[in-house]
Amino acid sequence: MQTTIFAFCGKGGVGKTSLSAAFIRLLSEQYPQKRILAVDADPAVGLSTALGIEPPMTLDDIRLRIAQSIDKGETADAVALLSEAKFHLLDCITERGNLSFLAIGRPEAAGCYCKVNAYLKQVLEMIAGNYDFVVIDGEAGIEQINRRVMETVDCLVLVSDPSQKGIRVISTIRDVASRLAAAKHCGVIFNRTRDGFDPDGIEGLPPVLAVIGDDPEQAAHDMQGESVFSLSASSPLYGGAKKALDALLREINDEAV
Amino acid sequence: MKLYEDLIAAIRALLPDTPDKACGFDPALCAEPGDKNAILFRGDMAYELGGSGKQSVNCTLFGAVPDAKDEVALYGKDLCELTQDTAFSHLTIVQLKDEDEETLRYETLKDIAFCQFRLYPKGYHIRISPSAGKEQVRVAKAALQQSPPLSLLNVGCSLIALLKAQPDVAAVKTVFITDPSVDHTALTALARKAKQITEAVQHTFEMNSLDCASCKMKPICDEVDGLRALHFKKEEERKKHDT
Repeated sequence: MQTTIFAFCGKGGVGKTSLSAAFIRLLSEQYPQKRILAVDADPAVGLSTALGIEPPMTLDDIRLRIAQSIDKGETADAVALLSEAKFHLLDCITERGNLSFLAIGRPEAAGCYCKVNAYLKQVLEMIAGNYDFVVIDGEAGIEQINRRVMETVDCLVLVSDPSQKGIRVISTIRDVASRLAAAKHCGVIFNRTRDGFDPDGIEGLPPVLAVIGDDPEQAAHDMQGESVFSLSASSPLYGGAKKALDALLREINDEAV
Repeated sequence: MKLYEDLIAAIRALLPDTPDKACGFDPALCAEPGDKNAILFRGDMAYELGGSGKQSVNCTLFGAVPDAKDEVALYGKDLCELTQDTAFSHLTIVQLKDEDEETLRYETLKDIAFCQFRLYPKGYHIRISPSAGKEQVRVAKAALQQSPPLSLLNVGCSLIALLKAQPDVAAVKTVFITDPSVDHTALTALARKAKQITEAVQHTFEMNSLDCASCKMKPICDEVDGLRALHFKKEEERKKHDT
């Protein structure tokens, strides 16, 4: 199976999760026969709410369970641990029609997320081949790019608001990603822009896939914790996501030809 | 191996005298191999053996196989006769070529026990929790609709083929139990004990403490004849080797 992996990255609070969710909705609507995996790789755990899916278990739950069994002196053979991890992995994957959902969870240990990020990378390498599309809602900042969690990503979608800080973050992510050859395709979505915003004047950015203005309907959805699946097709977020997705799929198809 | 003999006898006592289905090992009966990372999605699944909170047991024991003959046995319904999630136990008895515990290597037991993690029959998604001694299996609708439908005898032959590729394996009997009237709770307890024995054997090879009073393996060594003697013997050999 040919798998296309999209990953959303950018500064915190720019709408990565809403746009990831919109991509997931669009893919599941446009390709009802294809399998889609949605991955909440952000410890802030927002994608489950945006999709209206509550996972019974997260990757960090598995990691903790295995770490505790080692601490208790139980079996520590690598092969047995892998089998243990695979046993619980199916319980982490929530299936809804052609859509599967997997969450990294919120590690309880303060500070470092490297262990669960390393585990996420292994899990993605293991299971991505079962899906036609994988959409990863990445954590804010650059950590997951740096740690090569996104190494297998095909399309890196950088999300920013019009702020200098947001643009600086996506520039850094883009630089690191290109140094690590982390994605074949890369594009920018500007979200929550005001009238008069013109991305053409910003130098050194990858192609701009969409510019999305304020979206009161989506903001109200967010406030009420409603899923992106009930957002109307006339919403600017939905329209912008569709434009960006179509552009990326066109690029992928052109490359295939 | 004598260490597991009482357990094997206890398991036999829980099963009916004759299986519902059985066959000798035949490579032609092996199930078609699948992809090791393939997920069997719920929508493609007919049912799950050991699913919906039903009991499930996975256990590998080392001991004598009757007549040293490779065999697959099934107690209960076969895959094409089942229609919903059911309790499931899968027990495998492995007879070693060299049954002398004193020349035994823990690595040998481990390599043999881990063979099952490389079993990926197409349309039969196995997941095993070594810590809980559980085995759950998602069975594909497609595997039941094919002609002939996938049978547990096919799966058993595939497992035997993997085990027989190990140089120290003399014979294998693998037993599937889908009969809900068999006491799966008792099997769970016996599987736990088998795991404790294997851990104690591991301890014998890896730890050099001879202070039984402070050892967490004491309860199982008290219960299973030969474990403590094996540990002391191995430690003596280690000391001789060191001097």
